[in-house]
Amino acid sequence: MIKETLYIKAERNVKITKDKVLISDIGKVYCTDSGILSQVKALQILDIEKAEQKSQYVISILKIIEVVNQIFPQVTVVNLGETDVIVEIVKPKNIGRAEKIWYFIKVGFVCCICFFGTAFTIMAFHNDIGITSVFDNLYFLITGKEAMGITSLEVFYSLGLSAGIVVFYNHIGKKRITNDPTPIEVEMRIYEEDVDTAIVESNNREGNSIDVD
Amino acid sequence: MWISLFLLAIIGISSGAVVSGGVFTVLISVGLVPRFAGRTRTAKEVLKYENFVVAGTIFGGVLSIFQFKILFGFLFASVFGFFSGIFVGCLALSIAEMLDTIPVFSRRVKFKNLKLAINAVAIGKAVGSLVYFIKDYK
Repeated sequence: MIKETLYIKAERNVKITKDKVLISDIGKVYCTDSGILSQVKALQILDIEKAEQKSQYVISILKIIEVVNQIFPQVTVVNLGETDVIVEIVKPKNIGRAEKIWYFIKVGFVCCICFFGTAFTIMAFHNDIGITSVFDNLYFLITGKEAMGITSLEVFYSLGLSAGIVVFYNHIGKKRITNDPTPIEVEMRIYEEDVDTAIVESNNREGNSIDVD
Repeated sequence: MWISLFLLAIIGISSGAVVSGGVFTVLISVGLVPRFAGRTRTAKEVLKYENFVVAGTIFGGVLSIFQFKILFGFLFASVFGFFSGIFVGCLALSIAEMLDTIPVFSRRVKFKNLKLAINAVAIGKAVGSLVYFIKDYK
């Protein structure tokens, strides 16, 4: 019997809507023998109805290798992806009116925090540095006259402030200036990765992850 | 006279750009907005949140530089206070967290009950800011 090699590229975080978790849900699988490949893909890792009810499970790659080798002892499994997979159970629910409104409220709430919070932050910063006296002083140094009311310095400062933040965040409305992800999008991914790592670590520490014995 | 106007314009634009960049690098690096989006599970609205960050900054900046009087009344002031309070509260804790204050402390004194510690921080913050404002009010 020829020894086949099966390659798995496990994902870090997968969302499952069904009751059964198959190997094909965990990540990408490849094998030169297409017969083994299709059978392995259909192998079941976890039956949610029988398992302890949780909203997320952490499955070790060793468990997957064990499941594969029980059926195909001649197959060598090579994992090229993550060593622990977080399986999140997403109950398929029809999104009704109430959910939509609730979603809208949540988005509106966060929008308000972003708007007023940053407004407050920049005002606090201006207050901290005493921006009016800085401007008055600067205006006097440059023009030799006392600043009366609003000067051009303040107008251009505001323009610069707006331009700086638009360039920093890399988009005006929905229109992007360059194709790079915006800073908050980058932070969002980092945050998600941190959360996933924390979930895996705490599950491993408490021995809750699905692993070989 | 034109030269000084030109100079003022250059200084104004460049200082404005650098200030907005600087202030918002802090906000970005503590990862406040992603946390809000993650907590409410609305990660796909991140662009919308950014737009409001931009709008809020411009609004606040213009308001505090030109000292415009916007007479929107008590309700607007309450809304402003409420949401900026949430923001600043989260900001302060995020900075503390970025410096690993709570983990370091809990490890040093072998204190395991993180939930209690966080609730204590929240209550402490509320009491502290109330004490501060009441003292000023007299």
